[in-house]
Amino acid sequence: MRNKPLSFSVDIKLNKKNNIGDFDYSIVFTVIFLSLFGLAMVYSASGSSSLLIRQALYLFLGCSFMFLAAMSNFRKMEPIYLNGVWIGFFFLILVLILPNSGTTNRWINLGFITFQPSELMRFLLPISAAAYLSRNPQIRFTDWIVVLMTTLLAFVLVFLQPDFGTSAIVLLSGIIPIILSGIPWRIILFSFLAGIGTLPFLWMTLLDYQKERIFTFLSPEADVLGTGWNIAQSKIAIGSGQLFGKGYMEGSQSQLDFIPESHTDFIFAVIVEEFGFFGALALFLLYAYLIFRLLYVAKMSKSKFAKLVSGTLSIILAAYIALNISMVVGIFPVVGMPLPFISQGGTALVVNMITIGIILSLRRTT
Amino acid sequence: MNFFSKDSFKTGEEYSRAIIFLSPFIFLFFISFFQLLNLSVIQGDKYQTIAESNRIYQKAINPVRGFIYDRKGTLLAENIVQRDLYVTPAYVEDTKETIIKLSNLLELPYELLEKEYSNSLKDGKKYYSFPLIKALNEEQIAKIKVNLNSLSGIEVKATLKRYVLHDEIFAHILGYVGDISSEDIKKNKNLSDLQNIQIGKVGIEKEYDFILRGKSGIQTQERDVKGRLVRVLDTQGAENGDDIFLSIDQALQDHLYKLFKNRRGALVALEPKTGLIRALISSPSYNPNVLNSIVNSAEVESLFSNEDSPIFNRAISGQYPPASTLKPFVGLAAVEKKVISWDKKIKDDGEYFVEGDPRPFRGWKEDGHGQVDMKKAIVESSDVYFYNIAYDLTLSGIKPMLESFGFGQKTGLNEFESSGLLPDKKWKLGYKGDFWFKGDTINLGIGQGYILATPLQLALAYSALANKGPIYKPQLIQPNDELNFQPIKIADIKLSDFNNWTKMENALVEVIAARNGTANKIFDNDSVTIAGKTGTAQIKSILPGKEYDAIRENPALRDHALFVGYGPVIDPELVVAVIIENGESGSEVAAPIVKSAINFYVRGFDAK
Repeated sequence: MRNKPLSFSVDIKLNKKNNIGDFDYSIVFTVIFLSLFGLAMVYSASGSSSLLIRQALYLFLGCSFMFLAAMSNFRKMEPIYLNGVWIGFFFLILVLILPNSGTTNRWINLGFITFQPSELMRFLLPISAAAYLSRNPQIRFTDWIVVLMTTLLAFVLVFLQPDFGTSAIVLLSGIIPIILSGIPWRIILFSFLAGIGTLPFLWMTLLDYQKERIFTFLSPEADVLGTGWNIAQSKIAIGSGQLFGKGYMEGSQSQLDFIPESHTDFIFAVIVEEFGFFGALALFLLYAYLIFRLLYVAKMSKSKFAKLVSGTLSIILAAYIALNISMVVGIFPVVGMPLPFISQGGTALVVNMITIGIILSLRRTT
Repeated sequence: MNFFSKDSFKTGEEYSRAIIFLSPFIFLFFISFFQLLNLSVIQGDKYQTIAESNRIYQKAINPVRGFIYDRKGTLLAENIVQRDLYVTPAYVEDTKETIIKLSNLLELPYELLEKEYSNSLKDGKKYYSFPLIKALNEEQIAKIKVNLNSLSGIEVKATLKRYVLHDEIFAHILGYVGDISSEDIKKNKNLSDLQNIQIGKVGIEKEYDFILRGKSGIQTQERDVKGRLVRVLDTQGAENGDDIFLSIDQALQDHLYKLFKNRRGALVALEPKTGLIRALISSPSYNPNVLNSIVNSAEVESLFSNEDSPIFNRAISGQYPPASTLKPFVGLAAVEKKVISWDKKIKDDGEYFVEGDPRPFRGWKEDGHGQVDMKKAIVESSDVYFYNIAYDLTLSGIKPMLESFGFGQKTGLNEFESSGLLPDKKWKLGYKGDFWFKGDTINLGIGQGYILATPLQLALAYSALANKGPIYKPQLIQPNDELNFQPIKIADIKLSDFNNWTKMENALVEVIAARNGTANKIFDNDSVTIAGKTGTAQIKSILPGKEYDAIRENPALRDHALFVGYGPVIDPELVVAVIIENGESGSEVAAPIVKSAINFYVRGFDAK
């Protein structure tokens, strides 16, 4: 281990021992409130207390990691941040090698716990990228190339599982640090156009069910009992919630299982059905507050690393929220994305909590 | 400047870039917000309605259809539990494989099941089940139960189905039930509210459907996405249908049906004093159970396409020439109009000529009956005698008398009966486009030509002879209190001299009792006294030079045999009209059935 601190952590106030509990409590409370609300909604949507207990355990685990990360000694975390991406790659390759049960290959079963390596990757990749890009005072062009190559490799590995939604998020989470760290605009524009040019080839690599999802999105009402069923039922649930909702555990669409995946990807439909338009509005405001509170760290921090990490992670968080909600209300294809802090799913919850913890620690120390 | 050269990048630009790349998602967020506003506020009511219809299922509770009994309480029609095989498409894993399995298991042709499945599937409601195979037998139920685990989406459901006990014997009285068709709804809008209920299609089942059917209940259920019952929100119980007691005598009907031995024909037996119908047969018949629960559509199709039309109710809808059974009424008309007296004799040499027509009207007996008076003319059924009096009576002298006995009019039994045909000048001009000739009147005098009557009409006309005047409305429903039953009088014929009734009755008694009577073959001392008249209805007019023997080569052109009679003469209890299609001889095939009916009814057993 090197003794000399990396460039990105030189300006971190490691000596301030008295500020261990000095977090942005508004972020902490918002996140914990959202997660507890999520627990209640998971129970309403699934009606399963065992699922509720499991999610509660994950929440406890997530909270612990969040506080641990928030209170961590940043200097000692340097090698983990820089090399975390290799852990991600290890599991991504492992999940592809291990025998799978269904048509997709997304989960690793550790016996007592199952988790999604892609969820881990979309969190480790931007941190490692930010660390790599800010390890020296000056960014070299090759740094961007290295990060881009790493990102594309991670993207391909997730895409092969196949997981369309998360692979897009992984791609985004690797590219955003490159963009934020100052790559020239003309290169961004050129890459964007080139990216559009490769879309047809990407389309050809999509699996049938992925293509079907996109078709379904384009006309959900065409086949109400077939593939458009999900979106149609989700819209019925949302619409029937009207202004004030039907009340907690009173949504007929969710309680009678008309909403598919109601405790995971489509949990927002359950929320609107049971709490109405105003309930959804409150949730929107809460999310907006959280994202701008996190962005504020990127604005105020003096550390380049902190700016890159909190900037990237808050964009990713916003992407999750916007894509999930727009998918559930029927203006975006069903890509299989959970609603952060609320959807049932242990890996995502824990990863999101750790993300918040890291941003909290960056805010505290920079 | 090199494409890959670095720009000047100020610290703090990370934040502004973050805002820029956040903006697409904020934009998406806003669109989502407006979509949310659109769905839950602007279109909220619409989606509320859809959500309700997703959740609420109105399940009809079918009432139990009323039973049908005979006048003594013998059960004729009940309901039985039928077990049908239902399929719920949503739960069928592999349609083709499931149908193959069922076809092998139940030994039914694959094509049949496949066709039935795809026909029923068109509705598109994949979570609602439909019957694939109806009326499973015990063996099939056992086989399915054993294999139920390997057949997903398959279940056996029990429903109540109409079941007729005596197979085809009461078919035309009872009729049958069936599903409500779109045509039924056209005729009766109220039916559209009923679901999955069977209604009467014909016969008593239809006429008294409003009594038998009862009232459906409705259970409002909350169901989940898979159509499973979550909870019952409201229940309005069904009101079961009421039972009906028919005036029919099961034992009599059963006894008489056997005498038909699959011959085509009909019988109506009723009480002259009340109009209560005790037996009603149309042969050949059918088993209403085939139609009550249509299991085999090929069987149903063959019933309707059968040349002998077993579905057709000959007893009330079949129209036949009454032939010589009409003579008593023509005779009474002649006596009343003073065209002839009871004792006046006319010479019958087997032929009758109308002036200006070289073609003779022939009697059934080639050499004639010699000198005949009214009584002899009835007993021996002299055609020439009746040609003479019909000629003198003219159409206007015959028609009113026949009309008063109910010919040419519906009796008012039910909607299914025919009115028969009592021809006149206007009718002939309208339907035949020709004038009424004297020859037409002469043919009418012996019940031939255009005149047609149903067996029910004949029975009622003879009930007037038995009652010496009154005719009571026929009915199939047993009155609650038969002793104090007030039948509805639909006609009361007054003759100028009451003795005319007795004289005609004496003649009708001698048709059987006298040696020269046309039905003397059925006479036996053991039997109750019966008055009656034979009839032989020509269905093909015999052209000059062509003999009947040549015509009868074709069985379908042979004469119809008729006999109408009542007894005991002293206090008539039953009047019976029998027609046997192509039976040729009224005395040989029809009269024995009448005699058997009256004896069986009056004494409880048949005469030898």
